[in-house]
Amino acid sequence: MYFAGVDIGSTMTKVVIVDEDGEVCSRIVGPTGAEHRRLANRVMEEALKQANLPFNQISYVVATGYGRVNVPFADRQITELSCHAKGVSSLFPNVRIAIDIGGQDAKGMKIINGNLVDFVMNDKCAAGTGRFLEVISDALGIKVEDLGSISLKSTDKVKISSVCTIFAQQEVVSYLSEGTPLEDIVAGLHEAIAGRVVRMVKRLKIEPDVVLTGGVAKNIGVVRAVREHIGLEVLVPDDPLLSGALGAAILGKETVLKALAKGEPIPKKERRLEEATFFT
Amino acid sequence: MGIDIGSATSKGVIAKDGDLVAHHLLPSGTNYKMAAEKLREELLSKASLSQEEIACTIATGRGANNVLFAEQQVADIICCARGISKIFPSVRTVIDVEDQSSQVIRIGEEGRVVNFTTSEKCAAGSGRFLQVIANVLRIDLKDIGPLSLKSENPVTFTTGCAVFGETEVISRIAEGNSKEDILAGVHKALAEKICALAERLGLEEEYVISGGGGLDIGLIRAIEKKLDIQLLVPDYPQLVTALGAAIIAAEKCPPKEG
Repeated sequence: MYFAGVDIGSTMTKVVIVDEDGEVCSRIVGPTGAEHRRLANRVMEEALKQANLPFNQISYVVATGYGRVNVPFADRQITELSCHAKGVSSLFPNVRIAIDIGGQDAKGMKIINGNLVDFVMNDKCAAGTGRFLEVISDALGIKVEDLGSISLKSTDKVKISSVCTIFAQQEVVSYLSEGTPLEDIVAGLHEAIAGRVVRMVKRLKIEPDVVLTGGVAKNIGVVRAVREHIGLEVLVPDDPLLSGALGAAILGKETVLKALAKGEPIPKKERRLEEATFFT
Repeated sequence: MGIDIGSATSKGVIAKDGDLVAHHLLPSGTNYKMAAEKLREELLSKASLSQEEIACTIATGRGANNVLFAEQQVADIICCARGISKIFPSVRTVIDVEDQSSQVIRIGEEGRVVNFTTSEKCAAGSGRFLQVIANVLRIDLKDIGPLSLKSENPVTFTTGCAVFGETEVISRIAEGNSKEDILAGVHKALAEKICALAERLGLEEEYVISGGGGLDIGLIRAIEKKLDIQLLVPDYPQLVTALGAAIIAAEKCPPKEG
């Protein structure tokens, strides 16, 4: 039996297919698409191709991500927080604090024995999210993917005093025009975003194991800065983007296996492999 | 002389007996010291005065410590309050909208500051929000006010962040919303943040708007509507704080002989 998890983020859609032993058969990350054309179905098709499976062989599809998105090919929609918590604990069974820094939001989750017991979230302010790094790296003329390696060369990181992304951008341009080395500016940026996120997550009382996920976790400079701020080891999965989709797939598996064990019908609905749309 | 070095614009005023003799403003740029020097040059030239004839200079604003020729620095809230009380003595509530922050100041007689509150350092609560959206729409800042008044159906923004707001504007354009409706929505969103500040502090008439925001008729109307008040508008809303600094300068330093 196969189970799929689909995590529709603001920028990227992630699909993971697992079998009944929880082994991952395919994992794909693709663009979500523009506001009203959510191309999650295309990413789903890619994942099916990679696993060499037809759509009707997937016993259960769980979708997560943007709450307002209607996913016609999902059997069920489960909140991001539940899916992330499940995904992270399946990879790191001793996790207590999971931090996810996505393209447009940041979440902190307290997990005890694989269960989400508390959380904090910022989805209102661009600072402390991937957007912060995107906006400023754009102003600096560098690619987001290069930020991490550039920052490693820094010996004297700058202090960004602005809390707001827009004012920080101005500050950074100032530093650049004064001749400050690029690597010191980038290290300062990582320091700023790490500080912002950790301050938020401290409300949950941070204790090991600490896991960092989300697109921003691919940035080695940010990972280091988060480690410094927390003062603890920070674990990062090999595929930091996939914990939501993985968790969604596992939750689908659990739903089905539980129903089968009890001899109950599997809670499904009619599904079609089509574009997702926004509820308004 | 009063010099107000702001994050976006530097403003200067030469006053005699509390009346404006000369004024000038220029973009602050990244070098505040240079901006201050240039400002002084322009002011002296406009007033046909030499530096020796200036009895005293007070500096204020974010970049005040870059005004090397000033005798003293005074906080901008205090200068703003003094400036307003000279222009409109009956005002008791000042709504000051600047590039990087907004303030609401309660003043007493003689422009004494009774209380004040300021927005968090967030672009969406200050004039910068308007600049960001004007850039996206490719409209001059001076035109956004009048354009916004033409709207009959202001867009309601779902986000309170200027960065996410910029993205939302792009979506709204793609959805076919008019620039007028979008601008009206932006003014409304900013006005709401500012009005929340004002309500926290408590309102007392009469009311005035100052700072760069006072140049934007769309913002003025949006605030008036939200709070159900009338806003007085100075002739030069951006110069109020510099004027206040100049008035304080006259008090701090006795006039020179000769």
